[in-house]
Amino acid sequence: MIKHHPSDETLLRYASGTLEAGPRVVVAIHVGDCTACAARVADFEALGGAFLDDLPAEKLGDGAFDALMSRIDADAASRAIPAQPRRLSRAEVGIRLPEALDDCEVGPWRWIGPGVRRSRVTLADDPKANVMLLKVAAGRRLPEHTHSGFEYTQVLKGSFRDARGHYEPGDMDEADSEVDHQPVVDETGECICIAAVEGGIRLRGFFGRMFQPLFSA
Amino acid sequence: MTMRKQETSLSAEEGARLMAAVAGERNRSAFAKLFDYYAPRLKSFMMRSGMTSPVAEDLAQETMLLVWKKASYFDPLRAGVSTWIFTIARNVRIDRLRREGRPSAADSLDPSDEPEEPASAEASIMAAERDERVRAAIAMLPGEQAEILRMAYFGDKAQSEIARDLGIPLGTVKSRTRLALNRLRAILDDLV
Ligand SMILES: [Zn+2]
Repeated sequence: MIKHHPSDETLLRYASGTLEAGPRVVVAIHVGDCTACAARVADFEALGGAFLDDLPAEKLGDGAFDALMSRIDADAASRAIPAQPRRLSRAEVGIRLPEALDDCEVGPWRWIGPGVRRSRVTLADDPKANVMLLKVAAGRRLPEHTHSGFEYTQVLKGSFRDARGHYEPGDMDEADSEVDHQPVVDETGECICIAAVEGGIRLRGFFGRMFQPLFSA
Repeated sequence: MTMRKQETSLSAEEGARLMAAVAGERNRSAFAKLFDYYAPRLKSFMMRSGMTSPVAEDLAQETMLLVWKKASYFDPLRAGVSTWIFTIARNVRIDRLRREGRPSAADSLDPSDEPEEPASAEASIMAAERDERVRAAIAMLPGEQAEILRMAYFGDKAQSEIARDLGIPLGTVKSRTRLALNRLRAILDDLV
């Protein structure tokens, strides 16, 4: 049972296409797993359709339609050779990754602190986006950290707890810069999450170390 | 060269019928009707997202090209034509912003690309109902709240820019957006 969902604002930005690439993939994983949020996204897409209908018509250049049809005919004449599928480098991370990550490259686990490992996730369409898998050992406490933008964390395996609640697989933790959180992984086992930070982050302390190598790449 | 007239309205049923003709028979006159209705609105959508007129027109064309190519993926049981075309335009815009090297929402997720399982009969009622519910909900929102939601769709615009456009503080945009979304959620839940 999923208890923690992205906010309506986040789902609106996801549906309207104004969420950055990193958070977008994390939200996509949540939405792919959560029927309530999928329905909400469908509502927001329908809202986009309604707004599109309501827009005033902007005049097109003369012959726009004919130009498009010529383009379609030319396209059909030169049947494109299907692109070679890119070879993706994907490390074994010990869990089945969500479909939303199918096009991504996944790096090996790297130690970044006691009981904490991270693996870099490189999005096909936006390699600079800050996305990573995070693996934290049972009972480990993550040091406190702050960030300037929103931080999106989707639980893939295991569970953790912080002042705001208990997070299990399928749950998404959306924390703004005001939240000073100190999640503790449950004793029952390690916890694997996928996390993305929006906008710039302040590179200091523990969280800075987590993301630092992503920037220097 | 033909003079094209702008279509001022297109019912959901008519839109779905035209899409079926494009998908099934590659019917060009059906596609022309869709083009006349949607392309000028798509250009408008792109211009409101900060594109110049020529770029906006190019992206409107690109969107319509994808409508032609992907017509067989359109499933009226899942979404209305306007909603489906909106999602394609949204992805075209994301792609464009990414190529310009601006931070954007680019990724490979394209709902119009997904091989879709046939929607269940239950889902089919939902798609049509959803459109009606959402339209009814916008009509019930106070004008100012509907406007702030509309602005959330036509940008790339950060909330800070929306604030500047409306001449109100950033905090007010945030709280107004939150209010509008709460109101919208209450209305939608009520309309189920
Ligand atoms: Zn959810």
